[in-house]
Amino acid sequence: MGVINLKQLLESQTLQRAPFPVPVGWYFIDYSENLKPGEMRNINVFDQEWVLFRSESGEKVGVTDPYCPHLGAHIGHGGKVCGDNVRCPFHHWEYDTQGWCKSIPYAKVMPPITKKAPILRTLPTVEKYGMIWSWYHPLCEAPTWELPYIPELEDKTGYAGNRRGSWTANTCIQEIAENGVDVAHLKFLHNAPMIPPVEATYDGAKMVLNIGKGYIVGHTYAGGLNVMRFTQTDPVSGKAITATMISYSVPLTHDKTQMNMSFRHVDFPAGSPELAFTKKQIDHMIGAAEGEESAGFESVDFIVWNNKRYRPNPLLCDGDGPIFPFRKWFSQFYVNADLSKL
Amino acid sequence: MADVRVKGRDGSERTLDANGALPLMEVLRNAGCGVEGTCGGAMSCGTCHVYIADAWAARLPPKGEDEQMMLEALGDFVELRPGSRLSCQIPMTEELSGIEVEIAPAA
Repeated sequence: MGVINLKQLLESQTLQRAPFPVPVGWYFIDYSENLKPGEMRNINVFDQEWVLFRSESGEKVGVTDPYCPHLGAHIGHGGKVCGDNVRCPFHHWEYDTQGWCKSIPYAKVMPPITKKAPILRTLPTVEKYGMIWSWYHPLCEAPTWELPYIPELEDKTGYAGNRRGSWTANTCIQEIAENGVDVAHLKFLHNAPMIPPVEATYDGAKMVLNIGKGYIVGHTYAGGLNVMRFTQTDPVSGKAITATMISYSVPLTHDKTQMNMSFRHVDFPAGSPELAFTKKQIDHMIGAAEGEESAGFESVDFIVWNNKRYRPNPLLCDGDGPIFPFRKWFSQFYVNADLSKL
Repeated sequence: MADVRVKGRDGSERTLDANGALPLMEVLRNAGCGVEGTCGGAMSCGTCHVYIADAWAARLPPKGEDEQMMLEALGDFVELRPGSRLSCQIPMTEELSGIEVEIAPAA
């Protein structure tokens, strides 16, 4: 009979599922096509509600705090888009996509603060990849890096594939992303034939993962964007063919994450064996490929993510992936915002 | 107890008692001098603009950037003088007893 180690045995009682704030970074908000010129609606991301709107010209997209700085009305309930601005229903104060107050229809003198700084919180927002992206920082600091060029989504020719998916996991982004370095789970949860080797390199907000010596190469940009390229040799043509999974998750709350994905492949001719092969690659990523022993993320990862608790002091063994360097890298995206000290 | 000598918009003159370091704006508002003080001291409305007599103006705490910006904006509507101040920014301390204030026109 060994010694009873209470710290080991009882620690799980104090564990939380996702003990982190929303990480700083760029996040997918919606597909550009889903927001028409002049449209406004309320969205829930980053642990709060926001008002999403597109200018009447169609060129500008704003994501604002809902509550008017004047007397606190919810702009997204009864407000409307006027030109480039969103207008509060209560007294018709107007704000542009950067939160500057552009009009108070009855004030002779605009309050001086309106000329010095934005008075309504907005998120820096861009359109790229045919999507709307916003930068979240709990203390409103400006973006520190730019969204990368992704040929599979941005080049006019050369790539095809319109498969998209959206799933919700009841955990935080860090826990989801950690699976990238946790190569041992690929064998046991996903039924991969072996535990593949992994190399992880870190550069600022970017992590590059090379799993299985080039089989999967992933470029991860903080918590909100992950581009994974799967390269396999087509047994029919003998060619190495790369298919791409672009994953763009957004924290709905600090412990609930919407995972969105687009799957793209080389624009092979209709009816070619290469096209059949690359489509099967994509089926396999998701978890629906016929005749495959192993399982994609949809079929197996969620049961773990949705029910696990985060262990800050995991008991790792040899053969596990480089979990701790990943966690150290990810910790740069957490900012503790103590609003009582503003 | 500090005295405030006030000249109203109609030219009438009165002397007010200021108790307990209130902002001058509140003293004037409480006495019905025509000062609205709508924003409560946030320097966003400009409705507490007064002219401080030259001899007293130099003894006041200096104007901050927001007060200066509001006064400049008011200048599009009403006369500005060297003693123009937002009265919400002047705490009525004992040292200011006897201060001479003229209520500026509404914008």
